[in-house]
Amino acid sequence: MDVNVILQAIINGLLTGSYYGLAALGLTLIFGVIKVINFAHGSLLMVGMFACYWVIKLTGWHPYATLLLVVPMLFFFGYAMQGILIKPVLEAQREVREPTEVIIVTTGVWYILDNLALMIFGAEYRVIQTPITGQIFMLGDYIFPKPQLYGFITTAVTSGLLVWFLKFTKMGKSIRAASLDRDAASLMGINQYRVYNIAFGIGAAIAGIVGCVLIPFYYVFPTVGVVFDVKCFIIVVLGGLGSIPGALIGGAIVGLIESIFAQYIASTWTELIVYVVFLAVLFIRPAGLFGEKRDW
Amino acid sequence: MKKTFWLTLTSVTVFALAALVLAALPAQAAGPKEVKIGNILPLSGPSASVGIQNQRAIELATEKINAAGGIKSLGGAKLVNIFTDSKGDPNVGVTAAEQLINTDKVSLVSGAWNSAVTLPSTQVAERYQVPYVVPVSVNDTITERGFKYTFRIAAKDSWWAQDQFKFLDEQKKLTKTTLKTIAFVYENGDWGTGMAKQWDILAKKYGYQVVLNEAYPSTASDLTPVVMKIKTKKPDVILLTSNAADAILLTNTMATMKVKAKAIIGTGGGHADPSFRKNTGKNCEYMFDVVEWETDLGRPQIPSLNAEFKKRYGYDLAGESVDAFASVYVIADAIERAKSADPKKIRDALAVTNLCVGKGKLGIDILSYDCVQFDETGQNKNAGIVLVQFQNVKGNMERVTVYPNKVARKGFKAIFPMP
Repeated sequence: MDVNVILQAIINGLLTGSYYGLAALGLTLIFGVIKVINFAHGSLLMVGMFACYWVIKLTGWHPYATLLLVVPMLFFFGYAMQGILIKPVLEAQREVREPTEVIIVTTGVWYILDNLALMIFGAEYRVIQTPITGQIFMLGDYIFPKPQLYGFITTAVTSGLLVWFLKFTKMGKSIRAASLDRDAASLMGINQYRVYNIAFGIGAAIAGIVGCVLIPFYYVFPTVGVVFDVKCFIIVVLGGLGSIPGALIGGAIVGLIESIFAQYIASTWTELIVYVVFLAVLFIRPAGLFGEKRDW
Repeated sequence: MKKTFWLTLTSVTVFALAALVLAALPAQAAGPKEVKIGNILPLSGPSASVGIQNQRAIELATEKINAAGGIKSLGGAKLVNIFTDSKGDPNVGVTAAEQLINTDKVSLVSGAWNSAVTLPSTQVAERYQVPYVVPVSVNDTITERGFKYTFRIAAKDSWWAQDQFKFLDEQKKLTKTTLKTIAFVYENGDWGTGMAKQWDILAKKYGYQVVLNEAYPSTASDLTPVVMKIKTKKPDVILLTSNAADAILLTNTMATMKVKAKAIIGTGGGHADPSFRKNTGKNCEYMFDVVEWETDLGRPQIPSLNAEFKKRYGYDLAGESVDAFASVYVIADAIERAKSADPKKIRDALAVTNLCVGKGKLGIDILSYDCVQFDETGQNKNAGIVLVQFQNVKGNMERVTVYPNKVARKGFKAIFPMP
């Protein structure tokens, strides 16, 4: 096959993989800190997309300008969700290291959010025209769709900021401490529930960023989260639960597989390849590519 | 003694009265006052919205026929519809058919929209020898089982593919465009893969070279890889079968990646969804789509009927509700000719149906083809499909009927090849 085609497929795979990775980042962060699988992650993404959609619709802003509103909104949404809904369950399950009951709570939130959106906005698909929709950037013969290119840059910036925040700020250090051992962290004077609220808020805020990245080229509808949910879970487990580079690399792997293999076989079958690679990785490295062997 | 006398007298009187009533009955029922039609439709569940549209079309048509004097050969007998909800579930549909035939004693059954319900419920009607009129259920098999009592008005699935190729062939000759290579891109469900099989056979027949045969998952988060493939294969013609979301994503991605073809033809479904036009905007311009019916067809009765329908129910007529509307006229015509409410006689009358446009039957005058006639399998052999092209009409992206020529929108023709 033509080299140009493969190169273009690699470009597409990396661009697509970047926002997959970004979507998985929020999930992996929440899992890494609270040890909770957030089944409502896709719904948070949906909320982010709708928030971005309506801000653009009402104000006509550039989609990336809406981040100023959407990110704080989703942060507080996540903060409140953890503080109001999840905290009581965590407290009741104080003795358990992995509070599985929380999964039920997050699943409930998923259903409630999706159905609320269905009730309020209806099942129809919505696309909004933005200044970058359908725009491309040509480098030689290679096409870089601008919305995806911006998504790639956003992923790089967001993950850079997140790493800096976790490494160098006091709150970041508290989050890491609580993720290593929440009881020990509490003994050191860290308010673990506040740490959890903030970690959850950041996870939700990242979902909001993904929403804004997607809006210029993807459509929004109440169950849009489901499309990305399964992908996020695969990426997070593939890359290693709780690992930030794992999520990004995992996203790139899935994006590249989908893009490159589709040039050789029917795109229906690329999902199969993704799952085969996923199983192979689990078989060789059960903790995922970047996961650490822990006793969780 | 006295007691016996009174007892005898009473019984005699009772018997005499009973005999009188019995004797009087046939006289009264020289013609039945009404003819019952059993309708099985999905009135709840996932296909409820289309089921309810069909129900309303049937009610409106029945009302019009009854107001115009009902069945004249039966002394003005009225058509009475009994609606049962299939919930889109084959099991419920079978029970409904049993109940309509055995308990309600209907003369004829109509339904059931979902092919999965129509298949087993027509079997019930066949067993009881009650005619079953199918306005819309597109699965080919429905009329290919040798049934004597099943009659379908809508076109079969496979005819959609045939019309796509017929249209291409006509345009090829008309505009002297060379069309050699063809690409199939379709959702990987039952519908898409079924269409692709038909396309493959037809492409061979019409001498196309198939350069791409691509199934993709309808829930895909990214269709760029598929579009890339189309781009590298450079097909002259692209045939699509898509659901709503993927139709939008595919069209917009093709525009971004600058995919060009001489003709891009959809297969209804997602491309016919109103959200498709809204969400693709300029990107869908000049694309074609296949559909059973369109409001802009060149038939003079459509605007007034559509206005009446819209005023009453709040939305436009659609292909499926038009088939349902027409079916009542086909049924009324058969009963008229059978001069009876007897299922078997109605069946024989249905088999020789010959209803054509311009004979004052509103339900027939709005169809996209000229006559309703059933072949020996019970399939309406004239059922046709129309092709529309997305064209910019005074700043609005509209679905303009361009084929067949006789029903094309006045003053419009296909822009072929796509600029």
